[in-house]
Amino acid sequence: MLALTGIAKRFGATNALGGVSFSLAGGEICGLVGHNGAGKSTLIKVIAGAITPDAGSISVGGAALVRHTPADAYRAGIRVIHQDAPLVPEFDTIENCFLGRPYPRRAGMVDRAAMRTAIASIAAEIAPGLPLDRPVAFLRPAEKQFVRLLRAIADEGRILVLDEPTAALPAEDAHRFFDVLLRLKARGTGIVFVSHRLDEVAAISDRAVVLRDGLVVSELSGAGLSVDRLITEMGGELIAGEHHSAVAADASIMLAVDNLVTGELTAPASLAVRTGEVVALYGLSGSGRSSLLDALWGAAPIRSGSVTLAGQPFAPGNPRRAVAAGVSYVPADRHRTGLFAGHDLVFNKTLPLLSAYRRHRLLPLPNPTAEQADFLVAAERVQMAYRGPGQLAGTLSGGNQQKLLFSRWANRHSRLMLLDEPTEGVDVMAKKTIKDIIRAIAADGNAVLVSTSDREEALELGDRVVVFRDGAIVDDIPRTAATAAALSAAAQAKRQSAS
Amino acid sequence: MTQFNLARFGTLIAFVVLCIGFSIAAPQAFASQANVFNLLQQMATLSIVATAATLVMTIGEFDLSVGFAASLAGVISFVLFGLGYDPLLAVPAALASGIIGGAANGLLVARFGIPSFVATLALGTILSGLAFGLSGGGSLFKAVPEGFKSLGRGELLGIPVLAFWIVGVLGVAAFVLSQTEFGRRLRAIGGNRQAAQLAGLPVMRDIIVTFAIAGGLAALAGVLLGARLGSVQHTMGEPLLLPAYAAVFIGTTASPTGSPSVAGTLLGVAITGVLANGMTILGVDPFIQKMLTGVIIIIAVLFRRIGRVQ
Repeated sequence: MLALTGIAKRFGATNALGGVSFSLAGGEICGLVGHNGAGKSTLIKVIAGAITPDAGSISVGGAALVRHTPADAYRAGIRVIHQDAPLVPEFDTIENCFLGRPYPRRAGMVDRAAMRTAIASIAAEIAPGLPLDRPVAFLRPAEKQFVRLLRAIADEGRILVLDEPTAALPAEDAHRFFDVLLRLKARGTGIVFVSHRLDEVAAISDRAVVLRDGLVVSELSGAGLSVDRLITEMGGELIAGEHHSAVAADASIMLAVDNLVTGELTAPASLAVRTGEVVALYGLSGSGRSSLLDALWGAAPIRSGSVTLAGQPFAPGNPRRAVAAGVSYVPADRHRTGLFAGHDLVFNKTLPLLSAYRRHRLLPLPNPTAEQADFLVAAERVQMAYRGPGQLAGTLSGGNQQKLLFSRWANRHSRLMLLDEPTEGVDVMAKKTIKDIIRAIAADGNAVLVSTSDREEALELGDRVVVFRDGAIVDDIPRTAATAAALSAAAQAKRQSAS
Repeated sequence: MTQFNLARFGTLIAFVVLCIGFSIAAPQAFASQANVFNLLQQMATLSIVATAATLVMTIGEFDLSVGFAASLAGVISFVLFGLGYDPLLAVPAALASGIIGGAANGLLVARFGIPSFVATLALGTILSGLAFGLSGGGSLFKAVPEGFKSLGRGELLGIPVLAFWIVGVLGVAAFVLSQTEFGRRLRAIGGNRQAAQLAGLPVMRDIIVTFAIAGGLAALAGVLLGARLGSVQHTMGEPLLLPAYAAVFIGTTASPTGSPSVAGTLLGVAITGVLANGMTILGVDPFIQKMLTGVIIIIAVLFRRIGRVQ
């Protein structure tokens, strides 16, 4: 049905795909797994026609395609469904399924009855029980996923690429979702299932393709397709990169978290971090690791439990108090929650500590000269590449934007550094610099918490790796004992079924 | 880069061209000292209301109650004169009404998450009803102290008093927005509220304070309008609302990032003021004036967009 042969794609110095062949039959569910950076997203984009490969050929239904643009992919029946693909919240299921398609008409008016008939017949087959006439805003996350699938099928989708479709779904809904996939499969739809949840990939897929460093390293099917095998195949050799631990043997405990419950962290979590220590918080998204950071930063309320910072009780409640207590923070998703893209670099750097730049202690008037001087020092320290201090933050590259967020804290002495996915969407060179910066921050007398979904990063950065799963800390592994397989196994262990 | 700058200064150039054009077309009537003074007086209340709108737009919100707040403040001061109170009490009371109303707007928006468009429209309607009730529906013009009228009439050092109000209010607002920590925080909130919150800024408090200041400025405009005219009506502030926002939007075209600024707003007020004034002098029909003003707003913003795309 879909066949890709020898697909290669380079981005600058990075070999995103190094000659990948991939095929999918009708009525087949094929898992696609690999770590961040293994080439999954690039491959999906090639299938969708969003990226033109440097080499290789694509054929759909046996016909080789000369060009493969998004429009060609659409005509060939390829539908890529991202987990957060937009639906119109005020529209019901039927209206959402007709978005962007011609409406059936009768006497010049939109024929709602015909729309309903068209959708209801497919819905009855693949997702019985899905409300058709309620605004999707009122539907559960799983039901919204059904709407996305339904829309793709109703729109003559024959090859579905599902990108992390269950990431936002609770366990029982994920099971309902799989029932729908199986029914789609029975209809002859080809499905590519891309997921970090290896247990689900193993359970639902007929076959799984494992990518590593832009290459297909194995294809597993039948009895050979198991979570353990997937983990082994994905892992490969880990480069044991040099690792300078800054933790002195007698270092004092800087941060002690005692039975904390907050946000997605639903089971009481306890954790102690020494001065100079980098602790990686590793787990899938939604496992509770980011909630711990939010609570320590004062951005989310602590439901129960207690925290001490340098021996003092610490319950920030809001970020201002966390800043005052010597906590620094670099949020995940810099575009949404970090940067002021339309403002210049100095503005972005000094904002959280603005009152440190007053012309006079009592006058809340920032002194641009002092700000700029500090910016220049901080930018140097984080090795930021920029045109000038007046450049708009939105025009920096991803890696430099991330460094800009680090630079906010570079001129002061903090005690606890909270980093949420610090190298997400950052190129390889910037990644290395940022890791060096994190080490330097630790050596400077900080306790550092790095929340990450990147296993290699957890192993490379953490003096210890604390593993989160389903809202609980499930493991606390010292670096010497941490292996890639152990981490994946701990983070992946089968999801508890609520039923 | 040159196109970028052309787009940015296009509005300013258009203003200069308009002034030169009217001066040539009607040298005696337009470019006379009397007319310039007249223009300044007409611009004063609008520029203050537009400054209020600018502050609120800086944090990415709207305040549709400014016109109503201006009416209410004017009515309150005149009602208090009628009751024999001194301007020293009546004026602060009028300003307080605007500040309280504005703070209520801010509370609804920041604390209860009501979209500012809705919250300020609803609260403005309440203020409007209050002004109606207090004024009894008619004009108030009795027992107005002469000292009060001098707030908005007459001259100081040979220049109309209201011109000093423009300079004072807009100067302070521009200083606050560009030079103070508070102004910096407002721009951050408008740029990315979530990031501002996570950076530890007191976002909720700043939003409430901003709306309160905007309400206070609107009230000041209402008081000055009353002083200039010597009478007030409960609907007198309403016609200020849309021209105020028109001025802010025209002003955003003069900023590199398309964000509101006090200087830009002043330019917006001046350009619409000069346009209306010049066309009146040239005897252009009022209905054509209105339509042309709308066209000019569209052209200014469009011109800027095209400039930015390039």
